[in-house]
Amino acid sequence: MLEAQGLSFSIAGFSLLRDIDLRVEPGKVTAIIGPNGAGKTSLLRLLTGEQRSTAGNIALSGRPLGDWSPTQLASVMAVLPQSSRLDFPFTAREVVMMGRIPHATGLVRDTAIVDAALAAVDGSYLDKRFYTHMSGGEKQRVQLARVLAQIWEPVTDHARVLILDEPTSSFDLAHQQLTITNMRSFAAQGVGVLVVIHDLNMAARCADQLLVLSCGRIAAFGSPQQVLTATTIKQVFNVDVSIGINPLTGTPLVIA
Amino acid sequence: MVFALVLLLLAVLLGLLVGPVQIAPVKLLTLWSADQDMDGRVLELIRLPRVLLAALVGACLASCGAVMQGLFRNPLADPSLIGVSSGASVGASCVIFFGGFGFLGPGLGLPAIAIGAFLGGMAATAVVYRLATSVTGTSVSTMLLAGIAITALAGAVTSLFSFFADNEMLRRISLWQMGNLDSANWHRVMVIAAVVIPLVLVLPREGRALNAMLLGESEARHLGIGVEQLKRRLIVLTALGVGVAVAVSGVVAFVGLIVPHLVRLLIGPDHRYLIPGSALLGAVLLLLADTGARTLMSPAELPTGVITALLGAPFFVALLLRQRRDLVS
Repeated sequence: MLEAQGLSFSIAGFSLLRDIDLRVEPGKVTAIIGPNGAGKTSLLRLLTGEQRSTAGNIALSGRPLGDWSPTQLASVMAVLPQSSRLDFPFTAREVVMMGRIPHATGLVRDTAIVDAALAAVDGSYLDKRFYTHMSGGEKQRVQLARVLAQIWEPVTDHARVLILDEPTSSFDLAHQQLTITNMRSFAAQGVGVLVVIHDLNMAARCADQLLVLSCGRIAAFGSPQQVLTATTIKQVFNVDVSIGINPLTGTPLVIA
Repeated sequence: MVFALVLLLLAVLLGLLVGPVQIAPVKLLTLWSADQDMDGRVLELIRLPRVLLAALVGACLASCGAVMQGLFRNPLADPSLIGVSSGASVGASCVIFFGGFGFLGPGLGLPAIAIGAFLGGMAATAVVYRLATSVTGTSVSTMLLAGIAITALAGAVTSLFSFFADNEMLRRISLWQMGNLDSANWHRVMVIAAVVIPLVLVLPREGRALNAMLLGESEARHLGIGVEQLKRRLIVLTALGVGVAVAVSGVVAFVGLIVPHLVRLLIGPDHRYLIPGSALLGAVLLLLADTGARTLMSPAELPTGVITALLGAPFFVALLLRQRRDLVS
């Protein structure tokens, strides 16, 4: 479990995050929503250890994040940044295989995992294709497959964590659905999933708990039903909406 | 890889046998034997050290080029970007200018010019590295800019030395800058072998980490790579390699830029194979270029760096055109 307490972060005198408490629980999908500049990506950078917080503590499986060696951390926590630039002609398989760098499971096992991860993102046909020749959505799927491959199977008794920053930003409808399925199936295996998402309806469908960030503070936290109310959305996004019920999933449906 | 080794062997043979004096292949058998004739002596004391020097310098520049391109995540990067070559030029021209000829440290057999070049190269890299390193780590893009600035500054200092130099010094400075392997001897071969062979064996071990770096620094960190240590290690190693290469041969242009490119076209961008592949092909290409330099205007010699630039520049332009076509289509 990834747990943050009293997290604050400021840079050059600007306070970007203030007093954030968050638990990413195993088996659950936690989604962070909020307007642009609310501090979503900054929060991810703190939680992944990429940036040191100005105040507060972060612990993974009960151990302070700073005590983990880079390789140890990478073997249980996979992170997909918003966008990755790669200008070298690697094939999809080679890119996904990089997800296995933290592990020493051997080529046979790694190859099987890469196959499965590519299949999970509907990317099997990309296998030998060059990354530099792919469309934006295909590139994003290959990167997603890479982080899935990184934590495909448990290595120790530590809980695994999957952190995704806007994973569906360039996906078509089918691949958005597929990504939700993937997040749910990783959660079902006991992985703690944390995802930043802009589409409120998608957040409602995939998340067990929603964290609403606004101006670096937690504006609301709870189940989609608790959080996605017309009042909260008006307050945070300054948009008038009405809330319905998604007839397929029973989750809240934000109609703007 | 086998193909490249065969190619290297052929290039070595060609380099040994072709030159102002053509040598019959049978004479190879008299290497290190007591009953040598003139040809055998030429082989042992002149050709062989020169061929080995060319191969080692080529391997060193090309593998360091591959590492630099990975580190800067830019296929157009080149070892001279971190200021080594221009710093070495300052060091060399400084020594030439102040007339510190003769041999410092006879054990190494390196003339003062080479030592000056090495120190100059290291100093320039250290400055570039310092400028780009802050509390948050080393910024690769700042390093690129700092490298450009230091290169310009070093160029100006070299020009100043040239301006005040007399004719003889001027000729030596500009010949050195053209890159030349004509001062090859066994001492130099030993010195560079002591640096290059371990380097070429060690660098491919960073291949996986360099592959991850191509994804981006934060991506590499999330894959468990100690990014800051990796950058420091690789910059020190390449600076050392290029520094030594430049010290013994002057500025040999384009090998470090073009060879990794060629190898990437042939076997793909995976650094685990790219680095050793570049080392092999770099050795072959510099050998061929040097053989050309010795024979084209025989008995006079062209500077090797001139040949590599003459071959390299059109090739580079062809690459650029190709890249542009890829963007359009």
